[in-house]
Amino acid sequence: MNEPILEVENLTVQFKAKTKMFRSTGDREKWKRVLNAISFSLRQGETFGIVGETGSGKTTLARTLVGIYKPKDCKVTLYGKRVDFRKKEGILLLRKTIGIVFQDPVGSLNPRVTVYDIISEGIPVWEKLKEEQKAEKVREAARLVDLPESKLESYPTELSGGEKQRVSLARTIIGGKKILVLDEPTSSLDVSIQAQILNLLIRLKKELSISYIFITHDLNVIKYMCDRVAVLYYGQILEQGNTEEIFEHPRHPYSSDLVAANISFSSTTKFSEVQESGEPSKEGCVYKNSCSKRFASCDNEPPVIDYGKGTVKCWLYSNMRDDRGNKMER
Amino acid sequence: MIDSIQRRDKLSPNLLEVSNLSVNFETIDRTVEVLKDVSVTVGKEEVVGVVGESGSGKSTLAQVIVGVLDIPPARIMGGRILLEGKEILPHPENKVNFRGKGINMIFQEPLTSLNPVYSVHDQMEEAVNIGHPKLEKKEKEAIIRKSLAEVMIRDVEGVLNVYPHQLSGGMRQRVSIAMVLVQKPNLLILDEPTTGLDLIVQRKIISLIMNLKKEVLSSILLITHDLAVAANMCDRIYVMYAGRVVESGKMRDVLHDPKHPYTTMLKNSEPEGYANGAPLKVSSGAPPDLRHLPPGCAFNPRCPMAMDICRSKVPELKKLADNREVACWLYE
Ligand SMILES: Nc1ncnc2c1ncn2[C@@H]1O[C@H](COP(=O)(O)OP(=O)(O)OP(=O)(O)O)[C@@H](O)[C@H]1O
Ligand SMILES: Nc1ncnc2c1ncn2[C@@H]1O[C@H](COP(=O)(O)OP(=O)(O)O)[C@@H](O)[C@H]1O
Ligand code: SF4
Ligand code: SF4
Ligand SMILES: [Mg+2]
Ligand SMILES: [Mg+2]
Repeated sequence: MNEPILEVENLTVQFKAKTKMFRSTGDREKWKRVLNAISFSLRQGETFGIVGETGSGKTTLARTLVGIYKPKDCKVTLYGKRVDFRKKEGILLLRKTIGIVFQDPVGSLNPRVTVYDIISEGIPVWEKLKEEQKAEKVREAARLVDLPESKLESYPTELSGGEKQRVSLARTIIGGKKILVLDEPTSSLDVSIQAQILNLLIRLKKELSISYIFITHDLNVIKYMCDRVAVLYYGQILEQGNTEEIFEHPRHPYSSDLVAANISFSSTTKFSEVQESGEPSKEGCVYKNSCSKRFASCDNEPPVIDYGKGTVKCWLYSNMRDDRGNKMER
Repeated sequence: MIDSIQRRDKLSPNLLEVSNLSVNFETIDRTVEVLKDVSVTVGKEEVVGVVGESGSGKSTLAQVIVGVLDIPPARIMGGRILLEGKEILPHPENKVNFRGKGINMIFQEPLTSLNPVYSVHDQMEEAVNIGHPKLEKKEKEAIIRKSLAEVMIRDVEGVLNVYPHQLSGGMRQRVSIAMVLVQKPNLLILDEPTTGLDLIVQRKIISLIMNLKKEVLSSILLITHDLAVAANMCDRIYVMYAGRVVESGKMRDVLHDPKHPYTTMLKNSEPEGYANGAPLKVSSGAPPDLRHLPPGCAFNPRCPMAMDICRSKVPELKKLADNREVACWLYE
């Protein structure tokens, strides 16, 4: 397998949650931890999936990776270079290398400027191009994403959802980014348009030899697009590994609940477990309030176990190590 | 007239019969034909799906049937809707509210069917008054609690005292289902009931509806853009494109052997069943803009099979074997 080009270790992101206290004590700052010690790597040419339900922290992860949010803690290495989030150079390195396509194509495009201007925004300022060179690059980017040249003079409001996502993509690839973070790039699109965009993404990856971090809550799309996948729940990666392996043999109880709940042509409605899910737990295993396999150990923070084709964070697998701490097959 | 309608009811096992319904949206500067000659039936105890991409007219169809469509800007151009043999199509001069008349609807966003300023309890109470007007207060309270428990809400008392926005999306959808159930509808219309919900919640809501259907409900009309959701719930489906029904039949038949090129494309657009990264079979083009439809078959600009006649004449729905219908020149 190829070398990792991006390595993320122990990434923790928290936000200030201001709560109004009594007038005499004033505002007190509380922290809300949205991502908790996330670790994963991305290899050259790979599509790495992040799947998780709403509020699990997917968008926060995407925005952190392009330098919009500052993590509290982390070790991020990009093409062998350590990224320092506190320094301008660190953020610049991220922005030069990693591009993002946002979840909401409507909100992410400025409605007052033309498609041409939006795409050319993606050209790095340091390239200092002449007008004709710029125009040539914009046309090339539009061609790559199958956007008719006639649309370059349009405004975002005149575009369909699929065309807006093509514009977002063109704006990202024009800057020569090597890694694209795609945050639910097709969630708001009709299924036939989703199919067109997925085809486009697969073609672009080959033509431009780029790598993707693909975020979605749709398991069928993950299965189709991704080589490896991480399952995110309330800010923690509960399992990650080879996509096929996770679909065929989910180890973590949350992964198997997700796979069992997946709605597909061949799924059946005989899904009898219709009990309400519990809230994520703040102590011990984060999934324990919804987990059908919960036992005494689960009140403590579970270890991350490496099972060869992936890792899983669950007490069920803690005996997979022998006395000397070596992995055992299960 | 009344006689013939009653006789018709005896003859047909259908709970709902929409026939040749046409609806326009009229604004100052333009008229858009949103439903064109749409006929849909729902039999007793049947789950029927209406599937299509955005703008195909699905929600408008649901809204006309329930009687919540705003007239104007909408205008009924023709057709009839019979519920248990009785005409229920509202005419511009008598805009009727059908709540409590046997049809109810669960909307895409449950917040629209729940009133934000009333507690869950007060809304449930209002709903029970419709379904069980003659009961004592104590019995009504018991029904409220029973129906919330039926939709698998554990902390019933807790939920009763809160306002809709204090609940999660899944809980809101459960509450709106419970609210509809106490009204004892003969026909339940679901407009994208799980769109936007998390996967596990989606699955639970679908199972819940299907389990309850067996016990309480008689028939369901499901509106969805998601062929897989329809495959999990429906006995029969109608596929809509640009305001027309283009194909209908038993769910299984349509899924395994789609006749209309648009249905085929819908099915092929789902990544399910493809090898990792294999090209998805989909043609270019986007769902139609109703303001600028091409002449002939509305699907012709995207259709890989389009012929000359497709660009000039609209194909009629044609009956095929196994109670299937298709509107496509390939089957003439
Ligand atoms: N700027 C912020 N300040 C405070 N809290 C935030 C901020 N951004 C996100 N959050 C919180 O972090 C959590 C994760 O949010 P995030 O948008 O990353 O989730 P997501 O997985 O992308 O969800 P969805 O599937 O709905 O897009 C949520 O509880 C959200 O309210
Ligand atoms: N109040 C309205 N005024 C004008 N046009 C409308 C109105 N509501 C819906 N439409 C139009 O009717 C068409 C069908 O809408 P709808 O029934 O919501 O489709 P679907 O539910 O299949 O997405 C769309 O083109 C939409 O823009
Ligand atoms: S650690 Fe315990 S509660 Fe958590 S997923 Fe594993 S078995 Fe379930
Ligand atoms: S009528 Fe013609 S254009 Fe329309 S779906 Fe059939 S073959 Fe295609
Ligand atoms: Mg998000
Ligand atoms: Mg709709």
